[in-house]
Amino acid sequence: MQLTREEEEMLAGKSGYPVQKSMEILVQLGEIYDAKKMIPVSNVHMPGSSVVVAGEAGTKFVEKMAGLDGKFCAMTTLNSGAVNFDDWREVGYPEETFLLQTRLTNAYQAMGAIPCHTCTPYLIGNCPRKGEHVAWGESSAIAFANSVLGARTNREGGPSALAAALTGRVPEYGYHLSENRLGQIRVDVSTQLSGVDEFGALGYWVGTRAGSKVPVFTGITSVSADEIKTLGAGLASSGAVALYHIAGITPEAPTCDAAFGGRKPGEVFEFSKKELAEAKTSLNKHEGQEISVVCIGCPHASITEIEEIAAGLAGKKVKSHVEFWITTALPIRSLAERCGYAKVIEAAGGRFVIDTCPILSPMAEVAKKKGYTGLATNSSKLAHYAPGQWALPTYYGSLQACLTAAVTGKFGER
Amino acid sequence: MEKILHGRKVVGGKAKGVALVTGEPICFLGGIDVKTGTVTEVGHPLYGQCIAGKVLVFPTGKGSTGGSYLIYEAVNNGVGPCAMINRAVEQVTVIGCIISEIPMLDRLDSDPVTAIKTGDVVEVNADEGTLKVVSA
Repeated sequence: MQLTREEEEMLAGKSGYPVQKSMEILVQLGEIYDAKKMIPVSNVHMPGSSVVVAGEAGTKFVEKMAGLDGKFCAMTTLNSGAVNFDDWREVGYPEETFLLQTRLTNAYQAMGAIPCHTCTPYLIGNCPRKGEHVAWGESSAIAFANSVLGARTNREGGPSALAAALTGRVPEYGYHLSENRLGQIRVDVSTQLSGVDEFGALGYWVGTRAGSKVPVFTGITSVSADEIKTLGAGLASSGAVALYHIAGITPEAPTCDAAFGGRKPGEVFEFSKKELAEAKTSLNKHEGQEISVVCIGCPHASITEIEEIAAGLAGKKVKSHVEFWITTALPIRSLAERCGYAKVIEAAGGRFVIDTCPILSPMAEVAKKKGYTGLATNSSKLAHYAPGQWALPTYYGSLQACLTAAVTGKFGER
Repeated sequence: MEKILHGRKVVGGKAKGVALVTGEPICFLGGIDVKTGTVTEVGHPLYGQCIAGKVLVFPTGKGSTGGSYLIYEAVNNGVGPCAMINRAVEQVTVIGCIISEIPMLDRLDSDPVTAIKTGDVVEVNADEGTLKVVSA
């Protein structure tokens, strides 16, 4: 790899241990992927912001960097943490998780991170422009940044995003290079999709088949911001998709041909009514229908999703033994309060859980402690992870089906 | 019956252990319990098996970018694999192996997922890019 003089000096330790160690990680990564040089980045979204992921070992690693005066030279937003800082006891998170999370958040903040703890930084002001090189973690946010915004990032894991924030560099390979951003497989959507759950199911089905390839969708004529957020989340859960294109909709796909750069797709799939039904069935892994938790907001809920929930729950009551959660970012909850949605949802028995999410918090412990029996969600990402993370039967359906489940205590009832 | 595969060094180092092989990608968030090393992804072919001390052979990584620190945490808990062998590596898993110093190979001259069987004893010399099946 060709390093600049300044980068050579970083590697030699002239800017201290955190920068040196970071440069070592980035050079090693760059050599594995045959990068020719480093490129500057001024925007990082930090995975490994939750102690469910970082653990004791990762927290010590981050604390060591902060303790040795590591300072971020790129704007850095933190991904979801492991607890809601405001009322973690009420939700049932263990105190040890709260304490460890506080250490991790403080260490990141000491280096200059913005402690927003959300998986949707693009909804609260971290919105890189088309063509901008960034270092993002959080698989769903990566898919959004690359595909919807047209920014350029690889799938950064915690230590590499930390290294990028400390040095302002990433090795130039993968999705930073135009030739790797072209479509590889084509998915012809031949059925009309609507709602977060159906676009999530499409993402989940394609992710399994795409692996880490770049899918190009045809046949989608309209998709809302909420639907596109969940499409990417599904693609990045069942597979390792970091970039996709929708012909005629996303910025690097004015046409299907343009998205493929004139090349032919390696494989072509059809996604019809039949595949949609298959995807929905595969996400409902369990028999039975008793639920005790409903989770909306994976990825974190937008203000329009919250508006829809408020309209659906107005004048209704969540069943007494059921928890109804909306996971979202702090600024979005504030906005929901100002709009009056929070009042309606809380009056119905719903709860806002900020700073964390149903995947990156210790939900198996909470579920056990509270005696939860089943979970319902409209997120294909959560339906994919929950059986492993929560050790609970999980049901998947539309927002309406989830709201009905919250009110009746059973999934699939009318 | 000794068999030697040649591949690309991703992360250097040497290890010897029993192989645990799957044709399905692995995600370390929700997919593996990093306290015990048990595979927890419902429906995964390795569900219920333990990765601790094994030479883990799988096509590639998938899913959460939290995987890197989770690999590090598993290793610090003493339940990490002793080596990882992929068809083609994926960045999140690579970074986990870099900071955890787990020897890692990919691009072998035969498909590792079929050439190596669960239960084989294998020696990995990632520095030289070789993998030897010493007993099957």
